[in-house]
Amino acid sequence: MMILTGKTIVSAARPPYPYGGEFISQFLFALQLCWFPMMISTIAFGFGAPGLQAANFLSLFGALDRLGGFFILASVREFAPFVTAVVVAGVAGTAITADLGARKIREELDALQVLGVDPIKNLVVPRFLALMLITGLMDIYAVLFGISGGIFAEIAYGQPLGGFIATLFTNASVTDLWGSVLKCTMFGAVIAVVSCYYGMNASGGAEGVGRAVNVGVVVAFLGVFAFNYVFTQTLLATHPEISVIK
Amino acid sequence: MSGWMAIPRDWLASLGEIARFSGRVMGLVYSGRVFHFFGEALRQAGILILGSAMVIWGLTFILGLQCGIEGAYFSRSVGAPSNAGTFAAWCDLREVIPYAFGYMMAAKVGTGIVAEIGAMRISDEVDALEVMGVNPMIFLCATRLLAAWITLPFIYLVGIGVGFIASYLAVVEQVGEVSAGGYFLIFWMFQNPPDLIFSVIKGMAMATVIVLVGCYYGYTASGGPVGVGTATAKSMVLNIVLVHIIGMMGTLVFWGANPRAPVGG
Repeated sequence: MMILTGKTIVSAARPPYPYGGEFISQFLFALQLCWFPMMISTIAFGFGAPGLQAANFLSLFGALDRLGGFFILASVREFAPFVTAVVVAGVAGTAITADLGARKIREELDALQVLGVDPIKNLVVPRFLALMLITGLMDIYAVLFGISGGIFAEIAYGQPLGGFIATLFTNASVTDLWGSVLKCTMFGAVIAVVSCYYGMNASGGAEGVGRAVNVGVVVAFLGVFAFNYVFTQTLLATHPEISVIK
Repeated sequence: MSGWMAIPRDWLASLGEIARFSGRVMGLVYSGRVFHFFGEALRQAGILILGSAMVIWGLTFILGLQCGIEGAYFSRSVGAPSNAGTFAAWCDLREVIPYAFGYMMAAKVGTGIVAEIGAMRISDEVDALEVMGVNPMIFLCATRLLAAWITLPFIYLVGIGVGFIASYLAVVEQVGEVSAGGYFLIFWMFQNPPDLIFSVIKGMAMATVIVLVGCYYGYTASGGPVGVGTATAKSMVLNIVLVHIIGMMGTLVFWGANPRAPVGG
């Protein structure tokens, strides 16, 4: 897998660049698959976990307007990247593994190699770049819908929204946002490499492709969450100013 | 290339069928007909324990660490680092462990079931079962559901324990702004047995849905080896969304009107 990562990065950087069209079609493909599950998931997550649960706690102290500030911690820093990664790995990652696995089983990959077409440059690189870009962008989409889930929770508690919006914007910081987007972009890279690796190494007939999707998504989840822990830890420890509540 | 509305339309089309399929499988389990194949159910339970338990605990461990550090930094930022236990208790027990369990169930068990049953369907083994006079619905789907109901509550409870240990490690050993005693005082104060039961109910609802969706997509797979891969990917999409919806509904029903916290009068 490390070898695949290295090869992908090298062949993405080295000319020629024949993967433009494939990149665009993969990007659109992932976007078409992800937009709807992502919307439902982030609204549900934002409404349930940080929304209702934190609103519960804050309403005990009569401080429901502070929910906005909590959403910066909850949504921007933690849950938006997390849900984005889960949905992209579960939706686009599995689709990529199934697609490449099917090509491997039908021996299309070998045929490409015989024709002198490099499968890494023409298949893996566009998927890698498209998934990195789309996971980073989807993070912002997830933040928007996650916060709208929080707004629904605030409405469910019968609060005016002024306090929510005000604390949301006073607590928001640029560091948080770039941390979140950068984290998600890296998630996209992890997911793409894992999905492509397992897709290209599928074997064993009918069960092989399904098995490859199964293993691929499990490894992608574990990789993403382990990376998430290290990244959040580093970000929080190196930027103490973002955890100050204003 | 699929259109923009492909996924919602696909769900609308198959939702009724999934509901009917699930009803039939659950009926087979409740009517006791599944006990003709109790040995197979036990075998599936063994596969669940040996194959999936460690991965599920691995994910709950990582997310428990995550809850711990977020809790530690959040409670430090409000000037009460000794209260990290509040955040960790709620985050672990009520929200994140059910989600972690649901994600890993969907990824490991759900797609595994689709790959397995789908491969059997493609190679005509399901039809062969029927010819031999064995109801494949009972033998393949109902036994898996029974196995899930037998083993998963225990796997889930151990998962909660693993998550708690991870949060402890993160808050007390790693960030280290509160003593072990102070952490545990707050940590146990902010949860009680009903919370645990609600959390288990949430996790089990997710597990049931995931197993049923997996069985449905595997049972109806078609189109050769490629079809199995596509069905596996599709089941994952639906499962992810259902896990989030169940998580939200669980929070709304169990804790929506009553925070169950030892604060105030």
